[in-house]
Amino acid sequence: MLSTQELLLIVATAIPLAAFVILAVFGSRLGKPLAGWCAVAAIAVSTVLAGVVLKQWLHGVRDEAHTFTWATLGRVPITVGLNLDALTVIMFFMVSLVSTCIFVFSVGYMAGHSDEIDGRSKYHRFFTFLCLFCFSMLGLVVSNSILFLFVFWELVGLCSYFLIGFYFHRKSASNAAIKAFVVNRVGDFGFLAGLMMVFHYLGDLSLAGAAAKFQAAYPGGELFTRSFLGLSLATWMGMLLFCGAIGKSAQFPLHVWLPDAMEGPTPVSALIHAATMVAAGVYLVARIFVLLTPEAQLFIAVIGCITLTIAALVAIVQTDIKKVLAYSTISQLGYMIFGMGVGAWIGALFHLLTHAFFKALMFLGSGQVIEGCHHEQDIRRMGGLIRKMPVTGVTFLVGVLAIAGAGIPGLHIGGVRLGLGGFFSKDEILAVAYQRAFRTEEADAPDARRSGPAERPPGEPAGAAASVNPRSEATADAASGLMAATFADAAPRRLSAHDAAAERTRDSSFTPFARHDRVGGETAVTPEGVPPVACIPAPLFWIPVLIAFVTPFYMMRCWWLTFMGKPRDRHVYEHAHETPLMGVPLVVLAIGTFVSSYAIFRPMVAQAAPAGFLCKTFNPERHHEEAERPAASREEGAESADHAVAAGLPVAADVHGRLSMIVGPAFVVGFFLAIAIYLRGLLVAGAIASSLRPLHTLLVRKFYFDELYGAVFVGGIMGLKSVCDWVDTHIVDGLVNLCGRVTRAFSSIAGNVLDRSGTYGVEPAAGEQAGRLGGFMMLAAVLAVAGIMLAYGATGAAIALLVMAWVALGIDGIVNDLARGAWQVATSLRAVQSGRIRQYVLFAAGSAAVVLLVLVLL
Amino acid sequence: MLTIGLTHYLVLAAMLFCFGVLVMITKRNAVGVLLGAELVLNASNVNLVAFSRYQIGTLDGQILALFGVVLAAAEAAVAIAIFVNYYHETRTIDVDRAAALRG
Repeated sequence: MLSTQELLLIVATAIPLAAFVILAVFGSRLGKPLAGWCAVAAIAVSTVLAGVVLKQWLHGVRDEAHTFTWATLGRVPITVGLNLDALTVIMFFMVSLVSTCIFVFSVGYMAGHSDEIDGRSKYHRFFTFLCLFCFSMLGLVVSNSILFLFVFWELVGLCSYFLIGFYFHRKSASNAAIKAFVVNRVGDFGFLAGLMMVFHYLGDLSLAGAAAKFQAAYPGGELFTRSFLGLSLATWMGMLLFCGAIGKSAQFPLHVWLPDAMEGPTPVSALIHAATMVAAGVYLVARIFVLLTPEAQLFIAVIGCITLTIAALVAIVQTDIKKVLAYSTISQLGYMIFGMGVGAWIGALFHLLTHAFFKALMFLGSGQVIEGCHHEQDIRRMGGLIRKMPVTGVTFLVGVLAIAGAGIPGLHIGGVRLGLGGFFSKDEILAVAYQRAFRTEEADAPDARRSGPAERPPGEPAGAAASVNPRSEATADAASGLMAATFADAAPRRLSAHDAAAERTRDSSFTPFARHDRVGGETAVTPEGVPPVACIPAPLFWIPVLIAFVTPFYMMRCWWLTFMGKPRDRHVYEHAHETPLMGVPLVVLAIGTFVSSYAIFRPMVAQAAPAGFLCKTFNPERHHEEAERPAASREEGAESADHAVAAGLPVAADVHGRLSMIVGPAFVVGFFLAIAIYLRGLLVAGAIASSLRPLHTLLVRKFYFDELYGAVFVGGIMGLKSVCDWVDTHIVDGLVNLCGRVTRAFSSIAGNVLDRSGTYGVEPAAGEQAGRLGGFMMLAAVLAVAGIMLAYGATGAAIALLVMAWVALGIDGIVNDLARGAWQVATSLRAVQSGRIRQYVLFAAGSAAVVLLVLVLL
Repeated sequence: MLTIGLTHYLVLAAMLFCFGVLVMITKRNAVGVLLGAELVLNASNVNLVAFSRYQIGTLDGQILALFGVVLAAAEAAVAIAIFVNYYHETRTIDVDRAAALRG
């Protein structure tokens, strides 16, 4: 029997599906505003149900999830069930809430847009696909097996194809949709291959089951002992599964589809780029995190790092407001994937959640601007719009502050730290990267037995299986209870008491640049004989930090050019107006941005942090929490986060520590630069661009990725095509033509020598009938003579006579008779041959049925 | 709890086959007819694999099914090339109007 929470989530998932069916069938009859409101109602109900589950969860009511075996494939059971954990609950809530805002916005947005294609309204079609999209995404969030994850994954991809290509009569939109679909297929191919490896090597497709089997296989299993191209099969499996995320989350090298996807209506951009599709990739990595080996993690980190760099640099020079947002999305997704790669599981998902709100907010804001400015998307032609659109301008600024990670490190007002969005989430990722890069947790090896649940040492199968070991944590905490509550200190905290003093001394001279804390080395071996997780190369920390300075710059550039300064295009400025219906979701999302930065979201994610196996997850919150708690309550170790949530307290996670000294001022620097350059319009920027012409061109051309892919893949296919074409025309056709020519040559010889009177197919004239009768008599005479000759042994003469008679009388007579017979049969069968394929099929099927019937009856 | 056996596959294949034939008979769009043909082909593939798996135990059926898949791909390529050319000629792909081969 299903528990209440399961039931609620299933219903909440099914409602958008029901709305999809209703809209698909009756949508055109519901008409313009009604179909939209129908979709809004459906997703709103889902949100309420998700809210109920979230509320129950926050109050500590956790229902057990049930799984059912649906079918067995060979020896592998296919199970169905919900993945009921904190991550699912919070993701479900986020997706449905953001979707609701977007749906409401869509109603306003579509009201002002033409939705007619070929004279027929496609309005309902838009909301139909939005509903299907939401259903797919919600299904993806709740599935508990990789197989169903994949099914919903593909559904999401399909919906994105429909929605990007909503204006399919526009060539660019249809191309963008195809590009998104095809590029995603490339990634999904990897995902499918990874899925097959899971099926084959682990024999369990459920997330929990696969993780358990993976752990059990270590270190002697086939996955770990066999290798391919120098990497173990386990690594390959993780990397292949991650390929799916490369496609969906638009990571390098498959990031090219996302900017083009801006061809879709703006609410779709918001839905795809904020809450759903791109989040799916990060969510997938979070779910398969326990199947990742250190090498696979490093691969993920590198991909994320490349992505966030490329996208942020390209975003600097984009002039289309939606393209700026698209590239900033890719960059932020790069941060999330990078976070996953360095083990910042919580940080990455936290960033995903906060990003969902502020990016949806900014996309909807851009939709409002585009709508208000009469479909003008070029920020160079805007300016000063804040006077015309105050709500949009202010809420957009909230989003800009959030993505820039604006906040004041170290400042607490009533226990609440001042900051927004990325200030908490992005900086947490960077903090973890710092720790991994400079190995402040070098005490890992000796500490393996008493480290916390989140900082599990690499490969400790038995210990990893148990989720929590509160007592050992408490011991560790007591030993170094004095340590400051900063993240950077979390690891030294685990040292024994007398080491702690020395550690503090060292800390006092701490600079982020110091590498002296790199003790132990990568080859250190734990008592269990398992090598520790290698630390990541230092550039993997420095590049994201540098890009953290770029992010505020391009976002402030976009905001400033749009909303501040003097109007640069009078026509656009005069047309600008706000639509109230589209303003409401903006305000809701702005509030959501604040809430997600402070309460509920991060603790919920932290609860779900996996007990890492080969992978390393950092859960600074637990250390931090426990350090602040009285010793007596430390017994509850892992429960602490839950309790804090239950009490409704925002769990303060000060991830910054001294790291804030380098990342903290990033937004100030970025904002200042952007305002300084764009304060007086575009002149300064133009001058800079022309002085750095090659670099500027490189960025404007987006690093030539589209050209490169065009040359390599499209060009390659075209080259192959011309080769095939040449072979076909010259060799295949040449052979056939040669055969034809040879045959013709032979036949012309034969015709000239043997057959002078070809009368095939010509009705014989009446006079010929008599002639033929004579011919037959002649033939009979010749045959008789030849028979006599044969009987007397003159074989050669008989044959010669027969051949002569043959040639003389003309074999044509007999051949013509045969042909005439065939002609008559064909004519009588002509009626049957109607030329209609369907009729033929019917005949064939009918005859087959008759044969079958006869066989059965006999 | 349901264990998938030979019968399930055969029923699936039979259904696929029937659907395919129905589609071929009822569709007037050439691409639809092609889709029906694909269904029929794949029904036979399912049968091949199922029998091979449950009755024979060797990989013969699977290999034959792979041939079938390749064949289907080739067939689709040729058929669609024909449709495209036909469309260029006549601006339609309605198979009922494509009766040039009428006797």
